[in-house]
Amino acid sequence: MGSPETDRITPLEQAEQIILRWDSSKPHMIFNSDNRHDIDNYLSAVDLIQQSTNGKIAENNGQSTKVNTLVQIAMARLEDEFRNILISHTTLEFDSVNLLTESDEDSVNSNGSRISRNICEFDVIPKDHINDLRLIAKRMMMSGYFRECVQVYGGVRKIKLDTIFKKLGVEKLSLDDVQRLDWESLNAKISKYIKAVKICVRILFASKKRLCVQIFENLGYEGDEDAGDVCFMETVKSAAISLFDFAEAISISSRSPEKLFKIVDLHDTFIDLLPDIEDVFCSKSSESIRVQASEISSRLAEAARGMLYEFENSVLREPSRVLVPGGTIHPLTRYVMNYITLISNYKQTLGELIVSKPVTDSRYSDDLTMPDMDFGDHEGQSPLALHLIWIIVILQFNLDGKSKHYKDNALAYLFFMNNVHYIVQKVKGSPELREMIGDSFLKELTAKITQASTRYQRATWVGVLYCLRDEGLHATGSFSSGVPRNALRERFKSFNAMFEEVHKMQTLWSIPDTQLREEIQISISEKVIPAYRSFLGRFRTHIENGKHPEYYIKYSVEDLETAVLDFFEGCAVSQLSRRRSL
Amino acid sequence: MPPTDHHGSFLNRISIRRNQITNMDVNHEQELEELELFQKHVTDRFMQLLQQNQTQETTETRAQAQSQLLSISWFQKLLDTYLCCESEFKAVLIINRDASCFSKAPLDRLLPDHLDRTVKALDICNAITHGIELVRHWSRLAQIAVDALEQRPIVEGHVRRAKRALNTLLTSMMVDEKENSQLVGKSAERMWSIGRRGAAGPTTVNHNQKFMTRSFSTCVSKSWSASKQIQAMSTNLVAPRGGEPTGLALPVYIMSSILVFVMWTLVAAVPSPERAGLGAHFQLPRNLTWAHPVIGLQDKIGEEWKKKEKKGTAGLLVEIQVIEKVASSLVEFADGFEFPVGDEKADEVAGQVAELADICRKMEDGLGPLQLQVRELFHRMVRSRAEVLDVMDQVGKINTSVLY
Repeated sequence: MGSPETDRITPLEQAEQIILRWDSSKPHMIFNSDNRHDIDNYLSAVDLIQQSTNGKIAENNGQSTKVNTLVQIAMARLEDEFRNILISHTTLEFDSVNLLTESDEDSVNSNGSRISRNICEFDVIPKDHINDLRLIAKRMMMSGYFRECVQVYGGVRKIKLDTIFKKLGVEKLSLDDVQRLDWESLNAKISKYIKAVKICVRILFASKKRLCVQIFENLGYEGDEDAGDVCFMETVKSAAISLFDFAEAISISSRSPEKLFKIVDLHDTFIDLLPDIEDVFCSKSSESIRVQASEISSRLAEAARGMLYEFENSVLREPSRVLVPGGTIHPLTRYVMNYITLISNYKQTLGELIVSKPVTDSRYSDDLTMPDMDFGDHEGQSPLALHLIWIIVILQFNLDGKSKHYKDNALAYLFFMNNVHYIVQKVKGSPELREMIGDSFLKELTAKITQASTRYQRATWVGVLYCLRDEGLHATGSFSSGVPRNALRERFKSFNAMFEEVHKMQTLWSIPDTQLREEIQISISEKVIPAYRSFLGRFRTHIENGKHPEYYIKYSVEDLETAVLDFFEGCAVSQLSRRRSL
Repeated sequence: MPPTDHHGSFLNRISIRRNQITNMDVNHEQELEELELFQKHVTDRFMQLLQQNQTQETTETRAQAQSQLLSISWFQKLLDTYLCCESEFKAVLIINRDASCFSKAPLDRLLPDHLDRTVKALDICNAITHGIELVRHWSRLAQIAVDALEQRPIVEGHVRRAKRALNTLLTSMMVDEKENSQLVGKSAERMWSIGRRGAAGPTTVNHNQKFMTRSFSTCVSKSWSASKQIQAMSTNLVAPRGGEPTGLALPVYIMSSILVFVMWTLVAAVPSPERAGLGAHFQLPRNLTWAHPVIGLQDKIGEEWKKKEKKGTAGLLVEIQVIEKVASSLVEFADGFEFPVGDEKADEVAGQVAELADICRKMEDGLGPLQLQVRELFHRMVRSRAEVLDVMDQVGKINTSVLY
């Protein structure tokens, strides 16, 4: 092996030749060749040169100068080799990320409970090449060229990160942009981001860290930092900061209530990720990243709180005066009840975030009235539950105010009754909500329904039933000059007119809940039908004995019974039918 | 850490007094006094910043200048100044104020404008954070050269190493400027020739440039421009005419102005994406007495920018300027290097290396704290904005909250 000439030169000279042969101008890569022999030779040459520098540095002669130059040439070469290996072998990573995007969601998104340490790592660079990188890194460090090594490593790996971020949909939006986005777009972006950030922390960053450790493990320290840590931070610091920027932007965006649940989702994501972030970014120099992540969580929590308060305020102040036709369920009621049902679903996180009682005294207003609420009878309930109760209280308060815009009192009561009934139904329909609201408050609400119903009935029917009262119609004396016929006729006429009027109007009114509607209809029947039957029974003969009885006795009892069934249909029904089924 | 709920605490400090007519006059005077003080403090503080520079110039000890204009330590003072002014501003604006004035003219327009500027400033803070990272990166490259050239004797190996590092450094500093005027993000594939630096020897680094991505492509979107952001911040920035009822329009204007000034200065000093046209806009009107020191600073910095913009510079930060200068000079030395180095030359080089070493040390010590300060600025602005929004929301009746 080797020509006769090479046998005559020293190993050191041989090493020099090898190194000079492979200076930076050569385009081929040593480590690319399958020829392990070349690689080994080169590395041995480098080692030899390095060893020969020991003790020679102080000497100011040509030999030491030459050696220094050789070291530099070798280091420059190794730098290029290092870079080349990194570039050629980092394609695996990205495809694997794609695969994991789907399955990752299930594994990291366990409802409520926190998954600890769900860090997946996977090989990015084949073991052989990692080994080569290690061999190179070792030599560079031993010659004091660690900084160059870090620069190369960081420089290459950063590019990859950028590409992956793009594919994961991590957008680079400025804070300004985020403030201007409409909620629908923002909502979608947050969902995407939540998936992406989990992948980035648990898979991407973790595997980058692992790679750094693999390459630089036990190779020494840079200052007081482990070499692997330094490389890792060089690679990911900027990217990590950018990644968190979006969450930061969300956390400072406007506090509209519709965002609450997404914000809580994002908050939960960050809380879940904090242990992983601590794990991956554990060095001293990465403290700022850990701090930023935890700050974001706090700010998101604050934002969530702010939104809840904002929601409460909006419910209280919701100003629309548009009357829902027929006294039916107001959109505000639906919205609020859906909202708080959702809150009760999120009670685990929101329960932890909301720690203070609702503010029930008027902060700013002399003119704005607020409902009274004493939480004294709600000891032992969580602050979140108190808020939910409070929200219902102010909802009612608002509805009460709205009801007063109806010209007809009866309709106002009906409206109120319908809406409170809806509230109660929704509470009963959600076990979590019901448990939080508590049965005693539920009883209070139910009582309100009854109260409203009674008021409605009184408002509508007192007048009508007044027509059927006894007084002033007593028979005095003999048969013929007994009951004042005109008065009686008037009574029948008024009753008919009033009933018709009520029928015309109140068929247009609405009680959406079937059961409630039936209850009210029955209740009305129970009041009206017996009274009419008895009135009819007592006085019909007097009318029938006179002229045109049909002007006065227009309706049979059955007619009325049928008519009552028309009430609260919410739409016009044909005119009251009459049958002479007498 | 248990969650704490601060929502009520700040608002409790606000007293909304609608019915206290009797004390109006006394309070009005007090408020006027507060406004006057605020103006005076702003003037004083910025005067100090201006004079920092002036005293140093006269003593001719620039190398030891504690807070030379646009140095890292000067910026630390600048940000400190801003934070002080901001605290005072908030106090003037919110505490003991009849907050109902927020929903009336002119504040109903001025405050949202100011808050909008704040959001833009937040973006700039983020960009500056990345910019400082970049500067850190440069200082590490410079440190390589320092380490190499501090060794004695100066031999070819060391010189080549230093040259390689310095070339990477200088190219990186220039790459950002060039890139910012073209498509950002394609830098990975771009090969930069370094022909203008003299003969590219066999050890110089075509590979390095090819893969050096010191651009901001990972950090900001392609269309984001620092100078456009500053421009957007300075629109609608108009000095209020006197005689306005609350007297608050002026402090809002002052605060907005100094905010824009601080951001503008930061962008000029630290590498930031897309700075073309930075010198052109934003000038405070000269007739404002409180603004004299700020205008003085603006003039100086604006001049510097114009000078350097032509040549192309990575940033006006003094330390960056020194690196640019010394690195170029050392690269020239390296290009013409022949062993052994004569005594005179050796001394010259030693002096420059010492200067570079000093700068690296300053950066090592100062950039971290500066980044933290920028972060603190970020937090403060976020908090203040939230507080002001809160008050505005409470006071302005919510008329548009149709929830469904």
